[in-house]
Amino acid sequence: MNIFELLTKIPRQIIFLVIAFAIAIPLIVPIGIPVNVMPKSRKLFQTIDSLGPDSKPVLISCDFDPQSMPELYPMLLAILRHCYARNTKVILMTLWAPGTGMVEMAFNELSKEFKKTYGHDYVFLGFKVGAAAVALGMGENIKAVFPTDYYGTPIDSLLMMTNIKNYKDISQVITLSAGDPGWRTWLLYAQSRYGVKLGVGVTAVSAADVYPYIDTDQVTGLLAGMKGASEYEVMVQKSGYSNKKRIATQGMDAQSLGHLMIMLFIVLGNIGYFLTRRRK
Amino acid sequence: MNISFDPWVWLSALLTIFIFSFLYRDNIFYRFAEHLFVGVSLGYLIALTWHNSMYPNLIIPLFKQGKIIYVIPLAFGLCYFARFIPKISYLIRFPIAFVIGWGSGVTIPAYFQRDILKQTQGTLLVSNTFSRWDSGLWAIVILVGVITTLIYFFFSRERKGIIKHASNIGIIFIMLGFGASFGYTVMARISLLIGRMQFLLGDWLGIIK
Repeated sequence: MNIFELLTKIPRQIIFLVIAFAIAIPLIVPIGIPVNVMPKSRKLFQTIDSLGPDSKPVLISCDFDPQSMPELYPMLLAILRHCYARNTKVILMTLWAPGTGMVEMAFNELSKEFKKTYGHDYVFLGFKVGAAAVALGMGENIKAVFPTDYYGTPIDSLLMMTNIKNYKDISQVITLSAGDPGWRTWLLYAQSRYGVKLGVGVTAVSAADVYPYIDTDQVTGLLAGMKGASEYEVMVQKSGYSNKKRIATQGMDAQSLGHLMIMLFIVLGNIGYFLTRRRK
Repeated sequence: MNISFDPWVWLSALLTIFIFSFLYRDNIFYRFAEHLFVGVSLGYLIALTWHNSMYPNLIIPLFKQGKIIYVIPLAFGLCYFARFIPKISYLIRFPIAFVIGWGSGVTIPAYFQRDILKQTQGTLLVSNTFSRWDSGLWAIVILVGVITTLIYFFFSRERKGIIKHASNIGIIFIMLGFGASFGYTVMARISLLIGRMQFLLGDWLGIIK
């Protein structure tokens, strides 16, 4: 076996090991590659930034589970920090059962940073099965879909929810979506039917699918994967809203180096393939 | 280095390593973690569905508030279990028919609105599109991309002459779309690895802050 054939047959375990080092080293010794904020992320930030204590609440649907945490959880933290700092009221819910754990984790993490009162500044509606029926039902009457919050408290007894009936009383819906049900559900039933302003945060896998809906203004802004999360973190920090640890931004050096390694392997594999074929 | 003494962090770290061990080859540790995950997820879903959906949306209105109308969804739901009794298994058709009928009625107009009307509107060139030279240029690129891609999927005529050239351009747009999707997919997978590395090197071993 010559060197060119060897390039086409690198054992996958070696590739995994190289990628693991390429990810681990920049995490231990950060390089500090700057994060460029894209217009689609800035659009979502500006929408939230225009809201304040007197605005209608923001509804955040955490439609993800622990598997998508590295991409979507930093988005949740950054958006919550932004809303809390602007004193904008927040309603949280999820169309994914494991999403409840993600929301509670975020509450615990931010409780030391912001002194917010449950029921006055934020509410957690919890999880409900039947995504289509949930998204449609909330357009008519949120309290009929969620008669109680996640903790079993009747919605009517929560101060923040007294004047909220349906999407007309919500300033912005944001879905942090790892698949289906998720952004497609909200776009199909809440945006198309009720015309809600919809911001989307998705895993990078789904990002390309959301683009067509940005140009048509069906989506007000998009955060795409860990990069989108880091962009939001940077904007929140630069605006002086929070100075806490930025999980996604910390991972961006590793992301860049990981991509470089993958590109290198693709190029090496192709060089090996074409040169082996030429020799034959 | 500041290793965690939290037993839950240790359990998480071990399960992560069990799953990663599949990268070498299939083994009993990987299978243990996989089965544990499936079992825990299902149990969690059942408990949450009961507490968040069944109890507040069915049990309370029907049995505590006496709203008799809720017997109808309860009966429809129970029909799903008729599947296990051969003599009355036909009853399952009622809830399935309801779900398909309701689903189609609700979804088809919404799809039409979301994907056909709005997207066609977005593709049209209007005077506002050319208010800036770059937005005008991109609008033309999108228009050419949509038309040539649609021609590529037009199978009622033989591919020759202008249709052949247009569909070849369509292939370029389709490949660019695939490339963008694949690039984003790689980014997503690397992100997941970064997330686990942050946990192992940060929360568990305390090497990174």
